[in-house]
Amino acid sequence: MNAVLKDTAHNTAPLAAWGLTHCYEGSNVLRGVDLALEPGSVLGLIGRNGAGKSTLIRAMLGLLQPLSGSAFVFGEPALKLGDDAKARLAYVPQQPEALAWLTAQQMLDFVGRFYPRWDAEFARRTLERWKLQPNKLLAKLSPGERQRVDLIRALASQPELLVLDEPAAALDPVARRELLREVALRAGESGTTVLFSTHIVSDLERVASEIAFLHEGRLLLRCGVDETKERYARLWLPASKSAAAPAQALSRRRHDDGSLSLVVERDAQGRWPEAAGLPGARVDALGLEDLFVEIAE
Amino acid sequence: MDASLLTIQPNAPEPIYRQIVEQLRRLIAGGQLAAGELLPSVRDVAGFHAINPMTVSRAYGLAETEGLLERLRGKGMAVAATRRASQSESQRLALLEPQMLELARHARELELPAEPVLRRLTRLLGD
Repeated sequence: MNAVLKDTAHNTAPLAAWGLTHCYEGSNVLRGVDLALEPGSVLGLIGRNGAGKSTLIRAMLGLLQPLSGSAFVFGEPALKLGDDAKARLAYVPQQPEALAWLTAQQMLDFVGRFYPRWDAEFARRTLERWKLQPNKLLAKLSPGERQRVDLIRALASQPELLVLDEPAAALDPVARRELLREVALRAGESGTTVLFSTHIVSDLERVASEIAFLHEGRLLLRCGVDETKERYARLWLPASKSAAAPAQALSRRRHDDGSLSLVVERDAQGRWPEAAGLPGARVDALGLEDLFVEIAE
Repeated sequence: MDASLLTIQPNAPEPIYRQIVEQLRRLIAGGQLAAGELLPSVRDVAGFHAINPMTVSRAYGLAETEGLLERLRGKGMAVAATRRASQSESQRLALLEPQMLELARHARELELPAEPVLRRLTRLLGD
Protein backbone atom coordinates (compact mmCIF):
# COMPACT_ATOMS: atom_id res chain seq x y z
CA MET A 1 0.00 0.00 0.00
CA ASN A 2 1.40 3.40 -0.88
CA ALA A 3 2.18 6.09 1.64
CA VAL A 4 -0.66 8.46 0.75
CA LEU A 5 -3.34 5.80 1.07
CA LYS A 6 -1.86 4.62 4.30
CA ASP A 7 -1.94 8.14 5.62
CA THR A 8 -5.61 8.78 4.92
CA ALA A 9 -6.55 5.31 6.18
CA HIS A 10 -5.09 5.75 9.60
CA ASN A 11 -6.44 9.20 10.04
CA THR A 12 -10.03 8.06 9.56
CA ALA A 13 -9.90 4.41 10.64
CA PRO A 14 -10.76 3.87 14.32
CA LEU A 15 -8.37 0.93 14.25
CA ALA A 16 -5.63 0.14 11.76
CA ALA A 17 -2.47 -1.91 11.55
CA TRP A 18 0.24 -2.31 8.95
CA GLY A 19 2.71 -5.12 8.45
CA LEU A 20 2.32 -6.61 11.91
CA THR A 21 4.61 -9.51 12.64
CA HIS A 22 5.16 -11.27 15.90
CA CYS A 23 6.60 -14.49 17.20
CA TYR A 24 6.59 -16.46 20.41
CA GLU A 25 9.61 -18.62 21.22
CA GLY A 26 10.82 -18.64 17.66
CA SER A 27 7.53 -19.57 15.99
CA ASN A 28 5.80 -16.95 13.87
CA VAL A 29 2.34 -16.03 15.11
CA LEU A 30 1.75 -13.02 12.86
CA ARG A 31 3.41 -12.93 9.45
CA GLY A 32 2.68 -9.46 8.17
CA VAL A 33 -0.94 -8.47 8.78
CA ASP A 34 -2.54 -5.29 7.36
CA LEU A 35 -5.99 -4.54 8.71
CA ALA A 36 -8.02 -1.34 8.95
CA LEU A 37 -11.61 -0.87 10.12
CA GLU A 38 -14.06 1.62 8.64
CA PRO A 39 -16.00 3.70 11.15
CA GLY A 40 -19.29 1.96 12.03
CA SER A 41 -18.28 -1.39 10.57
CA VAL A 42 -18.48 -4.68 12.42
CA LEU A 43 -15.51 -6.84 11.54
CA GLY A 44 -15.56 -10.49 12.53
CA LEU A 45 -12.16 -12.08 12.85
CA ILE A 46 -12.31 -15.84 12.25
CA GLY A 47 -9.55 -18.31 12.72
CA ARG A 48 -8.81 -21.66 14.25
CA ASN A 49 -7.55 -21.86 17.79
CA GLY A 50 -3.94 -20.75 17.69
CA ALA A 51 -4.30 -18.84 14.42
CA GLY A 52 -3.05 -15.68 16.15
CA LYS A 53 -6.38 -13.88 16.70
CA SER A 54 -5.69 -12.77 20.27
CA THR A 55 -2.14 -11.76 19.44
CA LEU A 56 -3.36 -9.68 16.51
CA ILE A 57 -5.97 -7.95 18.67
CA ARG A 58 -3.47 -7.23 21.42
CA ALA A 59 -0.92 -5.88 18.97
CA MET A 60 -3.55 -3.66 17.30
CA LEU A 61 -4.49 -2.16 20.66
CA GLY A 62 -0.91 -1.60 21.76
CA LEU A 63 -1.10 -4.16 24.57
CA LEU A 64 1.79 -6.01 23.03
CA GLN A 65 4.77 -4.67 21.16
CA PRO A 66 4.96 -6.44 17.80
CA LEU A 67 8.24 -7.58 16.36
CA SER A 68 7.64 -5.21 13.45
CA GLY A 69 4.83 -3.16 11.96
CA SER A 70 2.68 -0.50 13.51
CA ALA A 71 -0.85 -0.07 14.85
CA PHE A 72 -3.06 2.99 15.28
CA VAL A 73 -6.16 3.62 17.39
CA PHE A 74 -8.16 6.70 16.33
CA GLY A 75 -5.05 7.70 14.40
CA GLU A 76 -2.77 7.62 17.46
CA PRO A 77 0.09 5.14 17.72
CA ALA A 78 -1.36 2.21 19.69
CA LEU A 79 1.70 1.89 21.87
CA LYS A 80 1.35 5.49 23.10
CA LEU A 81 -2.39 5.99 23.52
CA GLY A 82 -3.61 9.10 25.29
CA ASP A 83 -6.36 9.07 27.93
CA ASP A 84 -8.86 10.54 25.51
CA ALA A 85 -8.44 7.68 23.06
CA LYS A 86 -8.64 5.16 25.89
CA ALA A 87 -11.94 6.63 27.09
CA ARG A 88 -13.45 6.01 23.64
CA LEU A 89 -12.24 2.43 23.45
CA ALA A 90 -13.41 -0.73 25.22
CA TYR A 91 -11.68 -4.08 25.02
CA VAL A 92 -12.78 -7.37 26.53
CA PRO A 93 -10.03 -9.98 26.67
CA GLN A 94 -10.78 -13.68 26.62
CA GLN A 95 -9.77 -14.03 30.25
CA PRO A 96 -10.21 -10.77 32.13
CA GLU A 97 -8.03 -10.64 35.22
CA ALA A 98 -8.03 -7.02 36.33
CA LEU A 99 -9.33 -5.80 39.70
CA ALA A 100 -10.11 -9.30 40.98
CA TRP A 101 -10.19 -8.11 44.62
CA LEU A 102 -13.33 -6.05 43.99
CA THR A 103 -16.91 -7.22 43.71
CA ALA A 104 -18.59 -6.88 40.32
CA GLN A 105 -20.56 -3.85 41.53
CA GLN A 106 -17.49 -2.18 43.07
CA MET A 107 -15.49 -2.70 39.89
CA LEU A 108 -18.24 -1.22 37.73
CA ASP A 109 -18.70 1.78 40.07
CA PHE A 110 -14.96 2.38 40.13
CA VAL A 111 -14.32 2.00 36.41
CA GLY A 112 -17.44 3.99 35.52
CA ARG A 113 -15.88 7.17 36.86
CA PHE A 114 -13.29 7.17 34.10
CA TYR A 115 -15.84 7.17 31.30
CA PRO A 116 -17.72 10.38 30.40
CA ARG A 117 -20.65 8.47 28.90
CA TRP A 118 -20.96 5.67 31.49
CA ASP A 119 -24.43 4.07 31.52
CA ALA A 120 -24.89 2.88 35.12
CA GLU A 121 -28.48 1.86 34.49
CA PHE A 122 -27.44 -0.44 31.64
CA ALA A 123 -24.81 -2.02 33.89
CA ARG A 124 -27.33 -2.63 36.70
CA ARG A 125 -29.98 -4.04 34.39
CA THR A 126 -27.61 -6.32 32.48
CA LEU A 127 -25.98 -7.73 35.64
CA GLU A 128 -29.45 -8.81 36.67
CA ARG A 129 -30.43 -10.19 33.26
CA TRP A 130 -27.21 -12.14 32.92
CA LYS A 131 -27.68 -13.55 36.43
CA LEU A 132 -24.52 -12.16 37.95
CA GLN A 133 -24.30 -11.49 41.69
CA PRO A 134 -23.22 -7.86 42.11
CA ASN A 135 -21.71 -8.49 45.55
CA LYS A 136 -19.51 -11.45 44.77
CA LEU A 137 -15.75 -10.90 44.46
CA LEU A 138 -14.56 -11.07 40.86
CA ALA A 139 -11.89 -13.54 41.96
CA LYS A 140 -14.65 -15.93 43.07
CA LEU A 141 -16.51 -15.87 39.77
CA SER A 142 -16.13 -18.57 37.13
CA PRO A 143 -14.16 -17.57 34.00
CA GLY A 144 -17.43 -17.30 32.07
CA GLU A 145 -19.06 -15.05 34.69
CA ARG A 146 -15.93 -12.98 34.81
CA GLN A 147 -16.06 -12.37 31.07
CA ARG A 148 -19.77 -11.51 31.29
CA VAL A 149 -19.04 -8.82 33.89
CA ASP A 150 -16.32 -7.50 31.64
CA LEU A 151 -18.66 -7.40 28.64
CA ILE A 152 -21.07 -5.31 30.73
CA ARG A 153 -18.20 -3.02 31.69
CA ALA A 154 -17.28 -2.57 28.05
CA LEU A 155 -20.82 -1.93 26.80
CA ALA A 156 -21.74 0.42 29.68
CA SER A 157 -18.89 2.74 28.74
CA GLN A 158 -20.62 3.34 25.38
CA PRO A 159 -17.38 3.17 23.43
CA GLU A 160 -16.79 4.35 19.89
CA LEU A 161 -14.59 1.34 19.33
CA LEU A 162 -15.49 -2.00 20.87
CA VAL A 163 -13.05 -4.90 20.69
CA LEU A 164 -14.15 -8.33 21.89
CA ASP A 165 -11.91 -11.38 21.98
CA GLU A 166 -14.01 -14.56 21.72
CA PRO A 167 -16.99 -13.06 23.55
CA ALA A 168 -19.32 -15.91 22.73
CA ALA A 169 -17.56 -18.62 24.67
CA ALA A 170 -18.73 -17.32 28.05
CA LEU A 171 -22.39 -16.89 27.21
CA ASP A 172 -25.36 -19.23 27.03
CA PRO A 173 -27.43 -19.00 23.83
CA VAL A 174 -29.90 -16.46 25.26
CA ALA A 175 -27.25 -14.12 26.61
CA ARG A 176 -25.24 -14.55 23.43
CA ARG A 177 -28.19 -13.43 21.35
CA GLU A 178 -28.58 -10.41 23.64
CA LEU A 179 -24.94 -9.50 23.23
CA LEU A 180 -25.22 -9.78 19.45
CA ARG A 181 -28.31 -7.58 19.52
CA GLU A 182 -26.43 -4.93 21.52
CA VAL A 183 -23.49 -5.08 19.16
CA ALA A 184 -25.68 -4.90 16.05
CA LEU A 185 -27.85 -2.02 17.22
CA ARG A 186 -24.97 0.01 18.54
CA ALA A 187 -23.06 -0.34 15.31
CA GLY A 188 -26.12 0.47 13.23
CA GLU A 189 -27.45 3.34 15.30
CA SER A 190 -24.59 4.89 17.25
CA GLY A 191 -21.95 4.16 14.65
CA THR A 192 -19.86 2.08 17.06
CA THR A 193 -16.99 0.33 15.30
CA VAL A 194 -16.66 -3.28 16.40
CA LEU A 195 -13.93 -5.86 16.05
CA PHE A 196 -14.67 -9.29 17.43
CA SER A 197 -12.93 -12.57 17.12
CA THR A 198 -14.71 -15.86 17.23
CA HIS A 199 -14.63 -19.38 15.99
CA ILE A 200 -18.44 -19.56 16.10
CA VAL A 201 -19.15 -18.51 12.57
CA SER A 202 -22.94 -18.18 12.81
CA ASP A 203 -22.64 -15.39 15.42
CA LEU A 204 -20.56 -13.47 13.04
CA GLU A 205 -22.95 -14.00 10.16
CA ARG A 206 -25.71 -12.27 12.09
CA VAL A 207 -23.97 -9.05 12.96
CA ALA A 208 -20.72 -8.69 11.06
CA SER A 209 -20.59 -6.47 8.02
CA GLU A 210 -17.18 -7.83 7.11
CA ILE A 211 -15.06 -10.83 7.86
CA ALA A 212 -11.37 -11.48 7.97
CA PHE A 213 -10.00 -15.01 7.98
CA LEU A 214 -6.77 -15.29 9.91
CA HIS A 215 -4.89 -18.45 9.12
CA GLU A 216 -1.39 -19.31 10.25
CA GLY A 217 -0.59 -15.69 10.96
CA ARG A 218 -1.85 -14.30 7.64
CA LEU A 219 -5.13 -12.80 6.52
CA LEU A 220 -6.43 -15.23 3.90
CA LEU A 221 -9.54 -13.29 3.03
CA ARG A 222 -11.05 -9.96 3.88
CA CYS A 223 -14.48 -9.29 2.45
CA GLY A 224 -18.04 -8.17 3.14
CA VAL A 225 -20.16 -10.98 4.57
CA ASP A 226 -22.82 -10.77 1.85
CA GLU A 227 -20.26 -10.43 -0.94
CA THR A 228 -18.33 -13.42 0.39
CA LYS A 229 -21.42 -15.60 0.24
CA GLU A 230 -22.24 -14.45 -3.26
CA ARG A 231 -18.75 -14.57 -4.66
CA TYR A 232 -17.37 -17.94 -3.60
CA ALA A 233 -18.61 -21.47 -4.12
CA ARG A 234 -17.37 -25.02 -4.10
CA LEU A 235 -16.76 -26.57 -7.49
CA TRP A 236 -16.72 -30.35 -7.63
CA LEU A 237 -15.23 -32.04 -10.68
CA PRO A 238 -15.38 -35.78 -11.39
CA ALA A 239 -12.03 -37.52 -11.87
CA SER A 240 -12.44 -37.58 -15.67
CA LYS A 241 -12.72 -33.79 -15.79
CA SER A 242 -10.23 -32.89 -13.07
CA ALA A 243 -7.56 -31.95 -15.61
CA ALA A 244 -9.79 -29.05 -16.68
CA ALA A 245 -9.72 -27.53 -13.18
CA PRO A 246 -9.04 -23.79 -13.14
CA ALA A 247 -5.54 -22.85 -12.07
CA GLN A 248 -6.84 -20.18 -9.71
CA ALA A 249 -8.60 -21.52 -6.63
CA LEU A 250 -8.62 -20.63 -2.94
CA SER A 251 -8.33 -24.26 -2.00
CA ARG A 252 -7.99 -27.50 -3.86
CA ARG A 253 -8.60 -30.95 -2.50
CA ARG A 254 -8.31 -34.24 -4.36
CA HIS A 255 -10.53 -37.05 -3.14
CA ASP A 256 -9.67 -40.75 -3.08
CA ASP A 257 -11.67 -41.44 -6.25
CA GLY A 258 -9.71 -38.81 -8.18
CA SER A 259 -12.48 -36.23 -8.10
CA LEU A 260 -11.60 -32.70 -7.12
CA SER A 261 -13.14 -30.04 -4.85
CA LEU A 262 -12.11 -26.43 -5.32
CA VAL A 263 -13.19 -23.16 -3.79
CA VAL A 264 -13.70 -20.87 -6.77
CA GLU A 265 -14.58 -17.24 -7.24
CA ARG A 266 -16.83 -15.42 -9.71
CA ASP A 267 -15.07 -13.22 -12.26
CA ALA A 268 -15.79 -9.52 -12.75
CA GLN A 269 -18.88 -10.38 -14.84
CA GLY A 270 -20.24 -12.65 -12.13
CA ARG A 271 -19.44 -15.89 -13.95
CA TRP A 272 -17.97 -19.04 -12.45
CA PRO A 273 -14.81 -20.50 -14.04
CA GLU A 274 -15.41 -22.35 -17.31
CA ALA A 275 -14.94 -25.79 -15.77
CA ALA A 276 -18.21 -25.28 -13.86
CA GLY A 277 -20.08 -25.83 -17.13
CA LEU A 278 -18.54 -29.25 -17.85
CA PRO A 279 -20.78 -32.31 -17.73
CA GLY A 280 -20.76 -33.81 -14.24
CA ALA A 281 -19.40 -30.64 -12.63
CA ARG A 282 -21.29 -29.20 -9.66
CA VAL A 283 -21.26 -25.77 -8.11
CA ASP A 284 -22.49 -25.61 -4.51
CA ALA A 285 -23.12 -22.41 -2.64
CA LEU A 286 -21.06 -22.20 0.52
CA GLY A 287 -21.99 -20.84 3.91
CA LEU A 288 -19.20 -18.99 5.69
CA GLU A 289 -18.53 -21.93 7.96
CA ASP A 290 -18.04 -24.29 5.02
CA LEU A 291 -15.87 -21.74 3.28
CA PHE A 292 -13.80 -21.36 6.42
CA VAL A 293 -13.35 -25.11 6.78
CA GLU A 294 -12.45 -25.49 3.09
CA ILE A 295 -9.73 -22.88 3.09
CA ALA A 296 -8.38 -23.42 6.60
CA GLU A 297 -7.74 -27.11 6.21
CA MET B 1 -46.57 -6.79 10.00
CA ASP B 2 -44.45 -8.08 12.86
CA ALA B 3 -40.69 -8.64 12.69
CA SER B 4 -41.21 -12.22 13.86
CA LEU B 5 -42.92 -13.05 10.57
CA LEU B 6 -39.49 -13.12 8.92
CA THR B 7 -37.26 -16.16 9.30
CA ILE B 8 -33.53 -15.55 9.27
CA GLN B 9 -30.99 -18.32 8.79
CA PRO B 10 -27.63 -16.70 9.36
CA ASN B 11 -25.63 -19.74 8.34
CA ALA B 12 -27.42 -20.36 5.04
CA PRO B 13 -25.31 -19.70 1.94
CA GLU B 14 -27.82 -17.05 0.92
CA PRO B 15 -27.00 -13.60 2.35
CA ILE B 16 -29.45 -12.37 5.00
CA TYR B 17 -30.53 -9.33 2.97
CA ARG B 18 -31.57 -11.64 0.13
CA GLN B 19 -33.46 -13.89 2.53
CA ILE B 20 -35.48 -10.88 3.66
CA VAL B 21 -36.26 -9.64 0.14
CA GLU B 22 -37.22 -13.14 -0.95
CA GLN B 23 -39.64 -13.52 1.96
CA LEU B 24 -41.19 -10.12 1.37
CA ARG B 25 -41.68 -11.05 -2.27
CA ARG B 26 -43.49 -14.23 -1.28
CA LEU B 27 -45.58 -12.69 1.47
CA ILE B 28 -46.70 -9.95 -0.89
CA ALA B 29 -47.31 -12.26 -3.86
CA GLY B 30 -49.25 -14.62 -1.60
CA GLY B 31 -51.39 -11.85 -0.19
CA GLN B 32 -50.24 -12.27 3.46
CA LEU B 33 -49.03 -8.70 3.23
CA ALA B 34 -51.62 -6.37 1.79
CA ALA B 35 -50.91 -3.23 -0.19
CA GLY B 36 -50.35 -0.29 2.13
CA GLU B 37 -49.48 -2.43 5.12
CA LEU B 38 -46.63 -0.98 7.18
CA LEU B 39 -43.41 -2.89 7.64
CA PRO B 40 -41.62 -3.13 10.98
CA SER B 41 -38.87 -0.55 11.39
CA VAL B 42 -35.28 -1.44 10.57
CA ARG B 43 -34.54 -1.29 14.29
CA ASP B 44 -37.35 -3.73 15.15
CA VAL B 45 -36.23 -6.28 12.59
CA ALA B 46 -32.54 -5.91 13.50
CA GLY B 47 -33.31 -6.06 17.24
CA PHE B 48 -35.66 -9.03 17.04
CA HIS B 49 -33.30 -11.15 14.95
CA ALA B 50 -30.04 -9.76 16.40
CA ILE B 51 -28.79 -8.84 12.95
CA ASN B 52 -26.99 -5.79 11.64
CA PRO B 53 -29.42 -2.90 10.90
CA MET B 54 -27.48 -2.16 7.72
CA THR B 55 -28.48 -5.58 6.41
CA VAL B 56 -32.17 -4.76 6.98
CA SER B 57 -31.79 -1.33 5.36
CA ARG B 58 -30.14 -2.96 2.39
CA ALA B 59 -33.02 -5.43 2.04
CA TYR B 60 -35.66 -2.71 2.32
CA GLY B 61 -33.77 -0.55 -0.16
CA LEU B 62 -33.61 -3.39 -2.67
CA ALA B 63 -37.30 -4.20 -2.19
CA GLU B 64 -38.10 -0.53 -2.76
CA THR B 65 -36.09 -0.50 -5.99
CA GLU B 66 -37.97 -3.58 -7.15
CA GLY B 67 -41.23 -1.82 -6.47
CA LEU B 68 -42.27 -4.20 -3.69
CA LEU B 69 -42.20 -1.50 -1.04
CA GLU B 70 -42.62 2.22 -0.95
CA ARG B 71 -41.39 4.75 1.55
CA LEU B 72 -44.17 6.68 3.27
CA ARG B 73 -43.00 9.98 4.61
CA GLY B 74 -42.89 9.94 8.41
CA LYS B 75 -44.26 6.39 8.64
CA GLY B 76 -41.54 4.18 7.22
CA MET B 77 -41.86 1.42 4.67
CA ALA B 78 -45.13 0.01 3.40
CA VAL B 79 -46.16 -2.56 0.83
CA ALA B 80 -46.43 -0.73 -2.50
CA ALA B 81 -50.02 0.12 -3.40
CA THR B 82 -50.07 -1.25 -6.92
CA ARG B 83 -48.14 -4.39 -6.32
CA ARG B 84 -50.44 -7.34 -5.87
CA ALA B 85 -52.89 -6.73 -8.69
CA SER B 86 -50.07 -6.38 -11.20
CA GLN B 87 -48.47 -9.74 -10.44
CA SER B 88 -49.12 -11.85 -13.49
CA GLU B 89 -48.97 -15.62 -13.46
CA SER B 90 -45.59 -15.61 -15.15
CA GLN B 91 -44.21 -13.21 -12.55
CA ARG B 92 -45.41 -15.43 -9.75
CA LEU B 93 -44.02 -18.48 -11.53
CA ALA B 94 -40.65 -16.76 -11.79
CA LEU B 95 -40.53 -16.71 -7.99
CA LEU B 96 -40.40 -20.50 -7.99
CA GLU B 97 -37.47 -20.63 -10.40
CA PRO B 98 -34.72 -21.25 -7.78
CA GLN B 99 -36.64 -24.19 -6.27
CA MET B 100 -37.38 -25.60 -9.73
CA LEU B 101 -33.72 -25.46 -10.69
CA GLU B 102 -32.80 -27.18 -7.44
CA LEU B 103 -35.41 -29.90 -7.98
CA ALA B 104 -34.28 -30.45 -11.55
CA ARG B 105 -30.70 -30.78 -10.41
CA HIS B 106 -31.55 -33.35 -7.77
CA ALA B 107 -33.66 -35.32 -10.23
CA ARG B 108 -30.73 -35.45 -12.67
CA GLU B 109 -28.33 -36.52 -9.93
CA LEU B 110 -30.70 -39.37 -9.04
CA GLU B 111 -30.92 -40.22 -12.75
CA LEU B 112 -34.70 -39.98 -12.65
CA PRO B 113 -36.53 -39.43 -15.93
CA ALA B 114 -38.85 -36.44 -16.05
CA GLU B 115 -42.07 -38.38 -16.19
CA PRO B 116 -42.32 -39.91 -12.67
CA VAL B 117 -41.09 -36.64 -11.15
CA LEU B 118 -43.78 -34.67 -12.96
CA ARG B 119 -46.40 -37.26 -12.00
CA ARG B 120 -45.51 -36.92 -8.32
CA LEU B 121 -45.41 -33.14 -8.56
CA THR B 122 -48.84 -33.07 -10.14
CA ARG B 123 -50.17 -35.17 -7.26
CA LEU B 124 -48.58 -32.82 -4.73
CA LEU B 125 -50.15 -29.84 -6.42
CA GLY B 126 -53.52 -31.51 -5.95
CA ASP B 127 -54.67 -31.77 -9.55
